[in-house]
Amino acid sequence: MSCGDRKDADCREVLSELWLFLDNECNHERRALLKRHLDECSQCLEEFGLDEHLKALLARKCGGDHAPDALKQRLRQSIREIMMRQAVLGAEVSVGQNVDGTVVEVAISVESHAWPSPER
Amino acid sequence: MGVVGTMAADSSEHAQPRQPESRPENTPEGTTVAPLDSADHAVEILGAQDQSAQETPEQRTARFERDAMPLLDQLYAAALRMTRNPADAEDLVQETYLKAYGAFRSFRAGTNLRAWLYRILTNTYINGYRKRQRQPVQQPTEEITDWQLARAEQHTSSGLRSAEMEALDQLPDSDVKEALSQLAEDFRMAVYLADVEGFAYKEIADIMGTPIGTVMSRLHRGRKQLRDMLTGVARERGFLRDAEVAS
Repeated sequence: MSCGDRKDADCREVLSELWLFLDNECNHERRALLKRHLDECSQCLEEFGLDEHLKALLARKCGGDHAPDALKQRLRQSIREIMMRQAVLGAEVSVGQNVDGTVVEVAISVESHAWPSPER
Repeated sequence: MGVVGTMAADSSEHAQPRQPESRPENTPEGTTVAPLDSADHAVEILGAQDQSAQETPEQRTARFERDAMPLLDQLYAAALRMTRNPADAEDLVQETYLKAYGAFRSFRAGTNLRAWLYRILTNTYINGYRKRQRQPVQQPTEEITDWQLARAEQHTSSGLRSAEMEALDQLPDSDVKEALSQLAEDFRMAVYLADVEGFAYKEIADIMGTPIGTVMSRLHRGRKQLRDMLTGVARERGFLRDAEVAS
């Protein structure tokens, strides 16, 4: 069955919600409704297929980078050093980084760092 | 817009977080990023202090290494997409992790650690690296409603679409990554977080500090631009003849 047989608004609605469907952001009822339309409308289904394809393509090709081992070692080392100093000082220490990359410690209250503020 | 409103509500009540293969076991399903409003924030801190009171620095460090370190590769990949160069990505991830470690005492166990780390990464990038890189900030003009209007397009003739799909599949990874890097920053991050990392809209909204409607708009426009761009690249590479390109 082609979309010509159906009300245009139907297809427009479905097309506008394809990504919600693909992103799993529809509720069950809406999902079932969209699925039913896609089963019956080959043109919407084709459009859906392309979006689905694009999403899968991005997932497959744009992730999967590995952090360099040197970075992992450097981080573990920094964290251990900070921990040792904390144990010695017996105080909470927060960390930051200078522009030149050296780690600095600033004794602060935990509260202010519970969440980094958006500062937008 | 009716649909936007409906879907925004739906996404918080009915959203089923995807389960990408990369989702670590220590990220509980269905959890969201800790909210930022002050009341919840206070509760979060109280809870954290209760917990951390019984925890030695050694135990906390062990917990951090156990829970946060396995996510390093993912954060690095995201940092690469943000900064678009390995040296800056390394610096950004290092700063993110040291900040996270410093604040880990107040991280509420049971909330979404992965989203929390991404939030720190994003803030660190926005407040530091982006300024330092001195790249012109591309501010997309976005209206919550136009993602729907743009999609009001009708479907094109059958047959052309499958050729497009096959052509995109033949593109090497580097072409796809390059196309993604061409997107405006906010679009790029939204698409990356949704399609590569599998975050739900609500989580992306928390990470990027924007309303869900904005996330949807960025996703819609970013994906549309990306698809057009990739189709263009496929044609340049000879994977798709002009006649096959859907207009």
